[in-house]
Amino acid sequence: MTLPKHLRPRYRYLAATLETWPDAAIDRAAFEAALVAAIRDLFGDAGVAAADARLRTYSLAEGAGTVVVRTRRAAVDTTRAGLAAMGPVEGAPIAVCVRGISGTIRGCEAKYLHGRQLPSAESTVAFEGVDRPAVVRGARVDVDLGDAFVGATDLDLI
Amino acid sequence: MYEAVRARPVGPSTVARLAATAADYGYAGVVVTNPPDAAVDAAVDAVGEACGIDVVDGLELTPADPSQAAGAVGHHRPTTTVLCLRGGTGALNRYAVRQPKLDVLTRPMAGRGDLDHVLVRAAAENGVRLAVDLGPVLRETGPSRSAAIAGLRKLRELIADADAPYIVTASPGSHLELRAPRELAAVAAVAGFDREAVERGLAEWGRLAARNRERLADGYVGPGVRVEEDA
Repeated sequence: MTLPKHLRPRYRYLAATLETWPDAAIDRAAFEAALVAAIRDLFGDAGVAAADARLRTYSLAEGAGTVVVRTRRAAVDTTRAGLAAMGPVEGAPIAVCVRGISGTIRGCEAKYLHGRQLPSAESTVAFEGVDRPAVVRGARVDVDLGDAFVGATDLDLI
Repeated sequence: MYEAVRARPVGPSTVARLAATAADYGYAGVVVTNPPDAAVDAAVDAVGEACGIDVVDGLELTPADPSQAAGAVGHHRPTTTVLCLRGGTGALNRYAVRQPKLDVLTRPMAGRGDLDHVLVRAAAENGVRLAVDLGPVLRETGPSRSAAIAGLRKLRELIADADAPYIVTASPGSHLELRAPRELAAVAAVAGFDREAVERGLAEWGRLAARNRERLADGYVGPGVRVEEDA
């Protein structure tokens, strides 16, 4: 049902970058559920209702991605705290960093997320004297040790 | 603003990755606070230069009791820029707040740890910074998260009452657990900390590092007094 303009809720869009291990498969539904759970943990059911946080865009591949979260204007900090306090999602730790807030989805994608995602490539790197498979994104290198990953940069490769 | 981090071999991230991520999130520096038996062997200041961020060498002592702690503090103080001690028991907290050689008491409210107005006043007199550790609020769930928030609320009231020095950290164990200052401020608000208080606590790491570097430098005699070499 469409409300008259002065009664429509006012929304803000939070643009955030995501980072996790390359093998983590966190889908959109799991991310949204974890966000709502974190807001509920910190602010209760009333906080969840006040924030009314919904994912508008979501992408995550090979350990990096972006998300745009819509929230009520008065509850931007509630949603920001929820994004920070999600903890591991489906066993995988996920880093969320809000890059900017805007009144429109397009505005915040263009302004804060555009060009942030560097292409990733799988390659073999020499880490601590041993050749290992790795996922390389710019200077950042996630080295696959077999049972776990190590977060490194090109400075660590020798 | 600075953040305290633990690097490989303690966690899965190298110092360089932590420094690069912290720089991306808007920090001016990181303090590497590994325990002494798992210290970072890389030259941390060279990493900092390459990443465009200040990387400070620190240690977090994790002794079992105060007598162990006393030996470790004496041993590591002369070579460590930022020296922290992990609290979390009554005896360790009592020891740490009365030890002016210490910079930071970390995790004072964790586990069976607790503080009261007497201990916080002692910390203020001895210049021992109390750690406002947001880590459990960020990463725990349910009752342990509630307990962590309750602990931080109490700590905030004690710190305000005694005007005690404090630092803020998310105690990240990897680059994926780092959070930007604004995110930390949003989370700390649930324990009653305002944004300025969080920023002050994050900046305190940098002030500590600058002060201690001066103290550890050659020719330091006392505050404002140093021996100058003849040119």
